[in-house]
Amino acid sequence: MLRHPSNWLGIFAVTFGAAACKAPPARQAVSGKAPATTEAGGPSPSRLYASRTLHKPPPLTGSGEAARRNVLSFIDWAGMSTVEEREDARKAITGARDNGDVAKVLCDEAFQAQKTDHSRALLVLAILGEMRSSVGAECLERFMRLPFPDSGTVVDGEIVEQTALGTLQAKAIAGLAYMRTARGDEAVLRAVAKHPSRIVRAEAINAYLWNHGDTPQARATLRRYVRKGEEAFLDRIRREPGDSASVFNRRLDAYLKAHPEAIPPVPEHGKRTEKDTLQDKRNPPAPPPRP
Amino acid sequence: MPMNRLLVRVIALLTVLPGAVYPQCTQTSASQADRDLWNIHGCWQAFFLWQYLAYDMHEGDWSGRGWNDACNRNLEYPKHWNAAYLVTYGLLDNYYQSFHGTIDYRSTGEAAGNSFKNSVYHAPTNRTDIFGAWVWHLIGSDEIQTSCLLYNPTVANANPGSRAGDFMHEGWHGWMNKYNWNNGSAGGHRPCQPQPNGSCTLGQCTVNGCDYFYFHGISAYLFGAMWETDGTANRFHSPNQVQVEFLCDVADQPQSWVPASVRQAAQADANQRAAQRFINGPGYTCGSPRPW
Repeated sequence: MLRHPSNWLGIFAVTFGAAACKAPPARQAVSGKAPATTEAGGPSPSRLYASRTLHKPPPLTGSGEAARRNVLSFIDWAGMSTVEEREDARKAITGARDNGDVAKVLCDEAFQAQKTDHSRALLVLAILGEMRSSVGAECLERFMRLPFPDSGTVVDGEIVEQTALGTLQAKAIAGLAYMRTARGDEAVLRAVAKHPSRIVRAEAINAYLWNHGDTPQARATLRRYVRKGEEAFLDRIRREPGDSASVFNRRLDAYLKAHPEAIPPVPEHGKRTEKDTLQDKRNPPAPPPRP
Repeated sequence: MPMNRLLVRVIALLTVLPGAVYPQCTQTSASQADRDLWNIHGCWQAFFLWQYLAYDMHEGDWSGRGWNDACNRNLEYPKHWNAAYLVTYGLLDNYYQSFHGTIDYRSTGEAAGNSFKNSVYHAPTNRTDIFGAWVWHLIGSDEIQTSCLLYNPTVANANPGSRAGDFMHEGWHGWMNKYNWNNGSAGGHRPCQPQPNGSCTLGQCTVNGCDYFYFHGISAYLFGAMWETDGTANRFHSPNQVQVEFLCDVADQPQSWVPASVRQAAQADANQRAAQRFINGPGYTCGSPRPW
């Protein structure tokens, strides 16, 4: 969001003239007290990192109370896990596929976190989706049935509660698509056609395509469900971590050729808000090297 | 505005400012993603003693928000510098796969004036009708405000990636101002238009604050050159686009140690924003839809 001279200093200056402008001192780049803590300094980040044992996820096993403890411990590990530990996490998660107690605890945790901690809920839904278990699938379907809010905190015409649930249900629908079952696909196609959130519809399209190998047949199936005006989502460009520049750029060129309406108009110049030359803030020193 | 009303407004504002901004955000907990990133650096003090200078942050603005308790990860100031840590060290800077480099994102979000923008300082706001704001000031630095919605853990945007993404978004309003670009009248974006079915949309944009997505390839910009434009749609960025590209780079091109919870939250934010906020959208989808 952009705000122009509605600030008090601007109004003061406009009202009382240039002389008044000199009264409030310009903000100094470096002044005042530094932030502080009463805690003793700990080890450097790289020493902390070196002290971690990588590639050793906690067990995702057990039943009853043991399952609950193990699941909570695994979520903590999974949240912190590194890019290089992705396969370790996948292996541990799929290893728990047949453990209904583990899936049930994960499910309870997803519903609980949805109310208190969005990023934790996202994490747990990702684990449930990767697990591809029948208990997990039922849980994701139940999560998809959470009522979509129609009011709340509005930012730029966006209801933030809708965005919060929409991003979580998008993760749930990705999990259902990853089941690669008729029942999962049915839920995905229903979301493509009927979910009230574009966030979820968009992810349902993307996940269905990806799980069906991005084939023309998958695209043809989706065409029967996709809402009018959202056809471009069938061709949306996906940037995956391993994509080279040439692969991505070819995909982008093809998209823009197929969708000339996506080429934006020439940007427009506006009215500049002039300011004097008090731009004297110097570049700070380089950040401390990560030791 | 009639002079008498203007004077009343000035007096009212002078009565309540400065010092009117008391902390109202949730400061009793931090999101999983904030906690996980925090555990990576363990409150590295040398960093926040650099960061408050680099982002030009002041005790008067952040008092009661963790300025004097900078290792308490539940508080706002520690959450702010947690996000800055991600910007400063968290990206891989792979020229052949990243949209932009750390130098671009730091130059956009940090305080110093440069080719990207005039100088800014960072301050909090208790408003909950915005995520953040870039505020022009007649004298001295402009201001980047970040709201409670970037700090309260129940909100989807209260994670280090989304918070840092807002630094990019607001910083890019500074770029627009520096180079005299008009991005629309709805808070620096284009307003949606009421539709017969009761919705308010503009092209593919479904919110009231729409941008164009100026699509560009990977390796199209040298690192450090994100500020450049040729004045055409071929080489240009909008605030939401810079935000999406930053979030994509956090999700897909991070340093190995960036926690999974941080990457996943960044991916979710990038993808929802790309689906909702662009007139000529959707923007790119970031990452694979495989759940893990």
